[in-house]
Amino acid sequence: MAATAADEAIPGRASRVAWRSGRARSRTATLAIAGVAALGLALVLGVGFGTVAISPVDTVGILVHRLFGIDLGGTWTAAADTIVWDLRLPRVLTAMTVGAGLAVAGATFQGLLRNPLADPYVLGTASGAALGAAIAVVIPIRATILGFGLIHGLAFVGALGAVFAVYRLSRINGLSPLTSLLLTGYAVGSLLAAGLAMAMYLSGAALRQIFAYLLGGFDTAGWTQLGATLPLIAIGSGLILLRARSLDGFLLGEEAAIHLGIDVRRERAILLGLASLVTAAAVAVSGLIGFVGLVVPHVVRLAVGPGARRVLPLAALGGAALMAFADLAARMLGEIPVGVVTAVIGAPFFLSLLRRTRTGYEL
Amino acid sequence: MPASAPIPARFRAVRAAFVPALLAVIVAACNGAATPRPTTPPDATGSLVPPSTATPAPSASASPSVAPAFPTTLNDDEGTAVLLKTEPHKIVSLTPATTEILFALGVGDRVVGKVEDFTPYPPAVTAIPDVAKFGSVDVEKIVALGADLVIAGGNSFNPPDKIAQLRKLGVAVLVEYAPNVAGVLKDIELTGAAVGRSAEAGDLSASMQAAFDQVSAAVAGLAKPRVFYELDATQKIYTAADQSFLAEMISLAGGTPITTGSTTNFEIPLEKLVTADPELILLGDAAYGTTAAAVKARNGWGGMTAVKSGAIVAVDDVVISRPGPRLVDGLRALALAIHPDAAIQPPSTPAPAASTPAASGSSAP
Repeated sequence: MAATAADEAIPGRASRVAWRSGRARSRTATLAIAGVAALGLALVLGVGFGTVAISPVDTVGILVHRLFGIDLGGTWTAAADTIVWDLRLPRVLTAMTVGAGLAVAGATFQGLLRNPLADPYVLGTASGAALGAAIAVVIPIRATILGFGLIHGLAFVGALGAVFAVYRLSRINGLSPLTSLLLTGYAVGSLLAAGLAMAMYLSGAALRQIFAYLLGGFDTAGWTQLGATLPLIAIGSGLILLRARSLDGFLLGEEAAIHLGIDVRRERAILLGLASLVTAAAVAVSGLIGFVGLVVPHVVRLAVGPGARRVLPLAALGGAALMAFADLAARMLGEIPVGVVTAVIGAPFFLSLLRRTRTGYEL
Repeated sequence: MPASAPIPARFRAVRAAFVPALLAVIVAACNGAATPRPTTPPDATGSLVPPSTATPAPSASASPSVAPAFPTTLNDDEGTAVLLKTEPHKIVSLTPATTEILFALGVGDRVVGKVEDFTPYPPAVTAIPDVAKFGSVDVEKIVALGADLVIAGGNSFNPPDKIAQLRKLGVAVLVEYAPNVAGVLKDIELTGAAVGRSAEAGDLSASMQAAFDQVSAAVAGLAKPRVFYELDATQKIYTAADQSFLAEMISLAGGTPITTGSTTNFEIPLEKLVTADPELILLGDAAYGTTAAAVKARNGWGGMTAVKSGAIVAVDDVVISRPGPRLVDGLRALALAIHPDAAIQPPSTPAPAASTPAASGSSAP
């Protein structure tokens, strides 16, 4: 196990890891099973519940009919079919995809920057995406490609552009790479936030669209959007998982990573790029939803330790389940912002976990 | 901890920009009639004919509503060609004005869902289930109702992505947006054509035009006082933008509107307002508790002619700014507030909320 080998490279931590590794392995299996079960439950509930009541029998009948072409003999209206298949199912799946992507990106940024407060938005992605979305609303051009409006497109471009700018700018000063990245991210983020404020001021009646984007949500998710987002997030997350060893190396510090034979500069650039790509795809489809990308990786690490090979897939499962449940709650409570729900569900849980933990957790 | 800093900075900036700006939007966009739409896409069909004249025989004489022409294709106010295969019988109204228009055209019983309305009119609309709120639309409910026509508000009154989603699901969505008073009459005729009531819509539009003309004639020779129409002044001061619906209404009612100096900005700096020196202040925010006494007590407002003479009048903003059939009442109320002695027929519906603060405040000059 590369993860365990990397952990043992630090004296002192090694004993703790050795003490925990047996338990961690069984916990990993338990958590994985629990995560998959939670995902399944979220899927069933997410498709079964909404503002319109559709009986579970009809819901199952519609899904079976659509998925396998088998007619179970139930009768349902065309409206019910549309609601289950074209509205609820893509919505639940999009929430899961975005939740998984944000959790993986969050885990990556935290490890890469060795900063517990890092989240997918730390290097300017959020400000860049928000400014892109705001510009899309303000300029008098309307275009739709693959079910994506200009607002999604420019949010994606803005998120990636912001991270690219931060990365390039951070390399032209004399600070250590990590400090430089974080400070540059802060500076660029502030500048973009000012641009956002100005765009909002100028937006007139379109302000509500910008505000809705900033709050985030899945209420307009459809199959085409999912079809465009899922590959980006799945491939990006998969490539990050393939580099779990590098991520473990970064967690030990630059020096240790170099000693482990990791090409630090190259790996950092690749991991930053992948995590940003995943984040950009997520924010383009859903807007800015906080908390999932920050807290889910911590919860997973508290349970199974820091090894990226375990943390990344479990974080993806946890993020997907949390987001799907949060979206369901948001929907049931009358389309309240899903970011509010993720925080309200997640923060108390995280706090209680922090209070109970006795392992001297640090990142 | 450098990593924590971007997060508060992001939200601080967002909040700072959002709070005052949202107020402006709420007051300006609430009734669906705001600025001239800056983002109107070119007519998709390339036709130079305005949408309403492109509809099949909108005039009252040509097409009695007993023989409706369906299927029909209508160009909505955003230039989208909307195909209606049969006469709609399950209509969802996403703006309060549309709800009023549909009831005025006698098809209120066909409205199966509506947008939430805090000042519902006519009273029968309260029985219709809400399928949308300020800024959100419940697509699932609309689909479940089996709606065959959704009439939505343009200029971002209803979220454009929701309109796109409904259309993708095969629901006919007609987007209406009236940038001015003529646009309201046009939208009434467009709505009439969409629900098979062209003749009634033509009659309604003609009678409204006649009522507007009567008001114009009554105020024709009179002096035009400088009028400041207050939309909101709790944080910043919001009033009519240049060439806005509200500015046009004040002009039609025989006043000179004090505007913001921009077609898109509804905020006016106090210094500019003091310089413009209103002779009459109309409290469109009276329903939210603003009184003449409160206006007099404001710092810096004492020097205005209107404040010195006590010419501060509460008005019912809903009838004045909602682009529906009651606009006639709104214009009459506005004209009477500006010219109390003019020969204008009083509004047929009393102004409910606005009359109370007016009594506690000062009367008209």
